[in-house]
Amino acid sequence: MSGVLILFLLIPLVGIAALFFVQRGSVMFMLSLGAVLLDAFCLLVGISGLPTCLPMQTAGGWLYLDHLSAWHLLVMLLVFTAGSLFAPGYFRDDLGSGRLSLTAARRYNQLWLGSLWTMTLTLLANNIGLMWVGMEATTLVTAFLVSIYPKPAAIEAMWKYLIICSVGIAFAFIGTLLVAASLPTTGEGSQQLFWTQLSVAGGYNLLLLKAAFIFSLVGFGTKAGLAPTHTWLPDAHSQAPGPVSAMFSGFMLNAALYCIMRHGAIVNHALGSDQFTSRLYIIFGLVSIIVPAAFILYQHDIKRLLAYSSVEHLGIITLGLGLGPAGCFAALLHTLNHSMGKSLSFFAAGRLGQLYGSHEMGRIRGALHSAPLWGIALACGLLALIGAAPFSIFISEYLLVKAAIDRGAIFVLVIFLFGISVIFVAVLRHLMPMVWGEGRNLPEKYRSASSIMVVCVLLGLLLFFGLYLPASIQVFLTRAAALIGGLP
Amino acid sequence: MLTLMSLLLFLLVLTNLTLLGSSRLAFCIRTVALQGVVLGLIPLVGLQPLSLQHGLLSLTAIVLKGGVFPWLLLRSLRVARVKREVEPFIGFNVSLSIGFFALISSVVFASKLPFGGNKDSLIIALALFTMITGLLLLISRRKALSMVLGYLVLENGIYGLGAVVADHIPMVVEFGVLLDVWVAVFGMGIAVYQINREFDHTDVDRLTELRG
Repeated sequence: MSGVLILFLLIPLVGIAALFFVQRGSVMFMLSLGAVLLDAFCLLVGISGLPTCLPMQTAGGWLYLDHLSAWHLLVMLLVFTAGSLFAPGYFRDDLGSGRLSLTAARRYNQLWLGSLWTMTLTLLANNIGLMWVGMEATTLVTAFLVSIYPKPAAIEAMWKYLIICSVGIAFAFIGTLLVAASLPTTGEGSQQLFWTQLSVAGGYNLLLLKAAFIFSLVGFGTKAGLAPTHTWLPDAHSQAPGPVSAMFSGFMLNAALYCIMRHGAIVNHALGSDQFTSRLYIIFGLVSIIVPAAFILYQHDIKRLLAYSSVEHLGIITLGLGLGPAGCFAALLHTLNHSMGKSLSFFAAGRLGQLYGSHEMGRIRGALHSAPLWGIALACGLLALIGAAPFSIFISEYLLVKAAIDRGAIFVLVIFLFGISVIFVAVLRHLMPMVWGEGRNLPEKYRSASSIMVVCVLLGLLLFFGLYLPASIQVFLTRAAALIGGLP
Repeated sequence: MLTLMSLLLFLLVLTNLTLLGSSRLAFCIRTVALQGVVLGLIPLVGLQPLSLQHGLLSLTAIVLKGGVFPWLLLRSLRVARVKREVEPFIGFNVSLSIGFFALISSVVFASKLPFGGNKDSLIIALALFTMITGLLLLISRRKALSMVLGYLVLENGIYGLGAVVADHIPMVVEFGVLLDVWVAVFGMGIAVYQINREFDHTDVDRLTELRG
């Protein structure tokens, strides 16, 4: 059973190798879709037996899967599946006209599967050093996805992304070193940095461990897009092609936040309380909710708006982590909801940008009339993201508010509500004319079956989880939340 | 043994100060390479007992940082046709002064850190100083290549810190880290090349298309 973990790492690699032998653009996209679907299939088959066999480990304990990583794996494969389904339609024109050369298409698909591989490694690594290696590798692999069309602006964005995140992640490595230094003995090596060991060990040097957590929070936080080190994020997200932006927002940021959760759990265990971490989580969370609000208010580019919205939502998740077990539950649920809503919105923004020839919100008018499918997707995606009622983000934000009230964190709650209200109004103001305004007659040339499917599935899931949260998922999430914030 | 160690540490300080004070990029690249070799040698000289794995790791680090990286960087230097760092945001003399101040502060700071008695606080201090030098280069220089060098110096400092404070990081992870740094330098080299092709210069302060 635990052999399935090795399969997760093997499938993308086989896909990358196979891409070298494919000579047709459309086949390349089919191939990477196939690899992602196979991965997802493995997870779904595995998951039917998961409740009993989690946590599981293999390869001498180096690969490890528990409820927390399994939940993130699920979100990751959902985002990658959606992105792979959407990509063929998005790139079809450019492939046909030669704007995207065969070499570039091959590179795109190989990097796409490469990102999948590095993020899988991050999630499955039991050793926190190896987890860091995986996270740094995501930066290096995904940087060139941003500049797959080598325009000046894209290259500038890629450069900023590469430098800021590399330096940020280097700080996170200092955090990892300090965790190692805070351990009591320097005896038998290879098992010591296993998370499974760290989360039960005792006798830490607490001062060093606290310093370690601050370095990890700032370092991985840079990659997760937490303010004030989020500055690379709007550039990279706005310049990357649609499916890549969706993958960045939908999962890469969450992968970095996942690393923070792991480090936080170690600190909580060693200190015997979550007071230290929760205070930091709350501060970083609130700053990341307030800062983007201002940028969203005066935004004119739809993809940059969505990027700032990612900063906000990662802030909300981080805030949730600081609000005890109930807050962690809400945060993890929010992870899934945000990833679905953001992927949907980025897909819509990407296609509308292609149809209107610009990502300027002033030039996208009456999308419901001109391109109904993507108009609906954009409207519903943005409504979901600002927490409108029938969609699932409303539920996770509601749970978060409840957790804050139960903990008596009223001041925190007020700032949180203020931030999301400003964003609610600002986004609605941008959204109205884009969707309902007077439309131009744009001949939408094609609507591939796969893109209709993507929109329907993501919308369906957003609505489904908004109306009903199955008991099995509740149990699963409670166990995952117990791993990171499980102190009574 | 002691004298060889002191020589290495002296070289480490010297490389940092040289980097802060010089404008010729090719010279800076070679200095960073020397620094990488020095840091690779420190565990070999100073840390007892030495295992085969540690030796192998140091050797890899020395080959990468002393041979492969400078080769890659000098290549992209030729492509980008830049020779000097002109008018950095923080001048060379000011950088040097900050460097001296940082050196003293690191020594004082490192002696107060709670890393157990047997750890060599001077190496920790110099590792910190190297990290600060790297950060200073990152924020004060104008050319894209100088920033790559800054990143490498920061990474060198972290490597030195790791060698002292966390000697039980498993080999797989250490090699993984080296691999990541290698890919990072490779990627940044390509990025410098692409910036030069699209913009006809590599001044990072003139990359201003994206705002808001």
